[in-house]
Amino acid sequence: MTGQQFLQYIFSGITNGSIYALTALGFTLVYNATGIINFAQGELVMLGGLSAIGLYRAGLPLPLAFVGALIIVLIVAVMFEQLAIRPLMAKGVLAQVIATVGASLALRTAAMMIWGREALPLPPFSGDTPIRVLGASLTPQTLWVVGTTIVIVLALQFFYKRTLTGKAVRACAVNPLAARLMGVSYASVVLLSFAVSGVISAAGGAMVAPISFMSYSSGALLGLKGFAAATLGGLGNPLAAVFGGLTLGILEGLAVGLVSSGYKDAIAFVILLLVLFVRPQGLFGGRVVERE
Amino acid sequence: MNAFVDTPPSHDTVLRLRGLRAGYGAVEVLRDVDLDVAHGEIVTIIGVNGSGKSTLLKTISGVVKPWEGVIELKGENLVGLGVEQVVARGVVQVPEGRQLFGPLTVQENLELGSYSRRGKRGRPAADKMEEVFELFPRLQERRLQHAATLSGGEQQMLAVGRALMAEPRVLLLDEPSMGLAPLVVKEIFRTLRELNERGLTLLLVEQDARIALSLAHRGLVMERGRIVMEDGAASLLAADIQSIYFGHGGGRTDVTEDGHEKYPVVREGD
Ligand SMILES: Nc1ncnc2c1ncn2[C@@H]1O[C@H](COP(=O)(O)OP(=O)(O)OP(=O)(O)O)[C@@H](O)[C@H]1O
Ligand SMILES: [Mg+2]
Repeated sequence: MTGQQFLQYIFSGITNGSIYALTALGFTLVYNATGIINFAQGELVMLGGLSAIGLYRAGLPLPLAFVGALIIVLIVAVMFEQLAIRPLMAKGVLAQVIATVGASLALRTAAMMIWGREALPLPPFSGDTPIRVLGASLTPQTLWVVGTTIVIVLALQFFYKRTLTGKAVRACAVNPLAARLMGVSYASVVLLSFAVSGVISAAGGAMVAPISFMSYSSGALLGLKGFAAATLGGLGNPLAAVFGGLTLGILEGLAVGLVSSGYKDAIAFVILLLVLFVRPQGLFGGRVVERE
Repeated sequence: MNAFVDTPPSHDTVLRLRGLRAGYGAVEVLRDVDLDVAHGEIVTIIGVNGSGKSTLLKTISGVVKPWEGVIELKGENLVGLGVEQVVARGVVQVPEGRQLFGPLTVQENLELGSYSRRGKRGRPAADKMEEVFELFPRLQERRLQHAATLSGGEQQMLAVGRALMAEPRVLLLDEPSMGLAPLVVKEIFRTLRELNERGLTLLLVEQDARIALSLAHRGLVMERGRIVMEDGAASLLAADIQSIYFGHGGGRTDVTEDGHEKYPVVREGD
């Protein structure tokens, strides 16, 4: 493999890795606030992609289709929390996780009824004339993906570290009862976490649609990879989730280059199994989030 | 009801409980509890492990829903309000075991204390934090440190400071002396007295009868969810506490459910 090829695989790895990172962030935000692993996370990514495609086909300009997709998934995520998660608050986390499995099936079926079974394309956000970097070619869409991911991560970082609401969300993750005793509404924190995680996932789905087609069933694999990335990072730490996503993407890129593209999707499974057997707390999991 | 009160600062009732019953599932814990706390008063409720002291404070805070009875703050009904609504009205709890946000810094913990005041009129959070730092200078030195890395005494100071950030009208304290060395307890209790002298009303729950009564104006003894005795703190102290305590309650252990050792209730020959 030449240096150029190597760089090419790294670029492609970073692009896919950014999408995994956004999905992993979605898992982490919900898990931190509630202890729930949201099995519908991948479906929210898929819904983001298909909504953008649908709106674009309906005649909206690409930027509006992108924003529209975020709003649609935001609404779906809020309804999902209100209808499936909140009523089960007293029943405990297991019941809620099962509800997310149900929601993932429902979303997949709905997507199939709306958009059919075929994988659909979306044009790249700003053309497809590749940019040459050190001999390797970089598509403008990659820059969109990486740039948006960076903006989202910085915005989240600002929200969690600098705003009182963000600190309240972190407080809830550590000790929900104490947070309530300070006047934080736990229910609002849960709703907010689902909403933010939905929007982030939708952004990932809408941005990846021009790179790899999107179909009603794309959510399963995207969800699995996002989950593997989140687990690699330790499932409680947003920055580690981003790191996990990028690592997974780059490993996949290198596997395609060094071995065969047939093994690409196996990487996520291998990572998931390795982490669960060798280091269940993840790479950064000194701290396991304690919950009541 | 015993009429003797050491120093009644005022007679207007801030917190009023009548016929309060509460429990978990089908198990009744609080049985017909009556309590009045006057403005500017320090009232303590003492009782052995499992007598229902924490349940009482949780019920006042709205964490446990009462089965029956009245909880009023200055005549306003608190029953049925959510936990965050009770805090917003100025009934603020320092919970048992401190319950800090360990991975957050001291400063962040304090900021969260003022969460219930956000968007409301009142002193800015920064000013209140300065006041907390004046009361507990050690917190200021450590304000960028994670709360989990503080010593036990500092953690309790932070728990009290965090509650003060909510501008309490009544401060509920659940065993602030738990697990702390006597000297540290003295320091914290001195600060509590100072706060009271500035007008803060305190409802203190303790297993350590002697230290609680040394601070309070009035004491009540709780046993199996009932108030079985009530008197001025001085007379309760003067009475043979051990016989009050062990006359009814029977066995107690020095270890809580989560395995922490507790500060002894009555130290022999102390
Ligand atoms: N969450 C709960 N679910 C069921 N029972 C509980 C719960 N919390 C407390 N209890 C029970 O209620 C009774 C009173 O407990 P509570 O914690 O109010 O006592 P306490 O006086 O605060 O004791 P301690 O001095 O050990 O803190 C105990 O019998 C306890 O087992
Ligand atoms: Mg207790």
